[in-house]
Amino acid sequence: MIFTGLLVGGVLGLVLQRGRFCITGAFRDLWVSGSWRWMTAFLLAVAVQAVGVALLTATGAITPEVPTLSVVATAAGSLLFGVGIVLAGGCATGTYYRAGEGLVGSWFALIAYAGTAAASKTGVLAPVTTWVKGLWTTQLTTIPAAFSLPDWVGVLALSAGVALLVRWQRRLAANRPVTLQLAPQRTGLNHLLFERAWNPLLTGVLVGLVAIIAWPASWASGRHDGLGITTPSSNLVGWLVTGDESRLDWGVLLVLGILIGAHLSARASGEFRVRVPSATVIRRSIAGGLLMGVGAAWAGGCSIGNALVQTSLLSWQGWTALVFQVLGVGATAYFTLIRPRNQRRAARAAGASRPTEHLENSKAASAVVATR
Amino acid sequence: MRTVLETEGLVCPFPVMEAEEAMADLTTGDELVIAFDCTQGTQSLPAWAADNGYTVTEFAKTGEASWTITVRK
Repeated sequence: MIFTGLLVGGVLGLVLQRGRFCITGAFRDLWVSGSWRWMTAFLLAVAVQAVGVALLTATGAITPEVPTLSVVATAAGSLLFGVGIVLAGGCATGTYYRAGEGLVGSWFALIAYAGTAAASKTGVLAPVTTWVKGLWTTQLTTIPAAFSLPDWVGVLALSAGVALLVRWQRRLAANRPVTLQLAPQRTGLNHLLFERAWNPLLTGVLVGLVAIIAWPASWASGRHDGLGITTPSSNLVGWLVTGDESRLDWGVLLVLGILIGAHLSARASGEFRVRVPSATVIRRSIAGGLLMGVGAAWAGGCSIGNALVQTSLLSWQGWTALVFQVLGVGATAYFTLIRPRNQRRAARAAGASRPTEHLENSKAASAVVATR
Repeated sequence: MRTVLETEGLVCPFPVMEAEEAMADLTTGDELVIAFDCTQGTQSLPAWAADNGYTVTEFAKTGEASWTITVRK
C-alpha cells in the first residue's frame, strides 16, 4: 500500500507548484512587507487539516500520537530551520517543488538538507541530536490538554481565529483587486489547472485537504503519521546509500511524488526551465540546506511535519516550532533583506538631497573599511 | 517614460524588492517593465502592484518559465 504515497505526493506537488504555495514566503512576508496574505492561506491549511484529523480520530480511523515537547530541541532546531529556509529560498516542500521546476539552487539545497537530515537522525550527528533532545524534556502533549480541555475545544478556537483572519484578508483583497491577469490561451480544465492563477486561500484549503487524505493513506501502509518531509528525506538518503529496503516507506514515496508531481505540473504549464543561479546564491542555498536538515532533525519536524501537521494536532511541539521558525525567518530576513533595503533607501535619500561629493566620500569610507 | 528591469535569475522575494526600488526612482505616470523567470512572481508581482495601487498595463508569458509585467506608477 505504500504506492499511494506517490499519488498523494504527486497531487501535493501539483497543488504547491501551481498554487505558488511557499511557506518561507508566508513567514518572510510578515517581516519584509507586513503582509498576512500567505500566512492566512497557510493557517487555513492548518485549520482545515485540524478539523479533518479531529473527525478521522473521532471515527477511530486513525489514532495520532502526539509527541511530548522537548523545549530546547524544538525551539533551537526550529530557529536554525527558520534561518536555513530564508538562505535556501524555500522550506522543505518549497525546495522539493522548486527543484521540480528546474531551479538549480534548490537542487543544491535539497541535497544538503536531505544529507544533514540523515546525518542528524541516523548518522554521525545523531548523538548531538539525542543530546539536544534530552536537554529540557517535558510531559506536554497538546495545548488543550495542558488546560484540562478536550482537543475539540482547541480545534474550534483555531477554526474561529483562522475564520477571522480569512475574513480580514478577503476584505483587503476585495479593496485592492489585481487588475490584469495573464491572457488565457487554453480552455477548460487545462486552463483551470495549468494556466489560471490560483487564489492563495483556495490553495490553502487544497493543501489542508491533501494533508487530511495523507493520514489514512499513510496509516493503511503501516506508517502511523501524516504528511512529513524530513524523516522521509532522511530515509530516502538512507535507502539510496545502504539499499536497506525497510527504509523505503510511504513517506519516501511521498517526497519523490512531490518532486515528480511538481515537475510534471511545471512541464504541463510551460513553467519548467533549468535555471542556474549565481555562485553566491548556490553558496547560500547549500548553507541554508545544511541548517534545515540539522534544525528539522533536532525539532522533530520541518515546516510540514511541525508547522503544518503537528500544529493541526494542537501539539506544543508544533506551535512552539511554528513560532521559532517565524522568529528564525524574521532574524535572517532582517540581516539579508530588510537592513540592506533600509541602507539603500537611506543612501538614495542622501544622494537626492546632497551633491555627489558626499556619495563619493561614503564610497571611499566603505572602501577603507573593506581593506582593513 | 518606460523603464525596463531585468530580474531573470532572481528568485522570490528579490524581483519584488528590485521592482520596489526601481519604482522609487520613477515619477507618477511612468511605466516599469519587469522581466522575470521566478514562477512565484506571477502571483507576487501583480499582488505587489495591487497592494501599492499601481495599475498593471501589460502581463505576458514570453516563453518557458519567463514573463514580463508592465506596471504604471
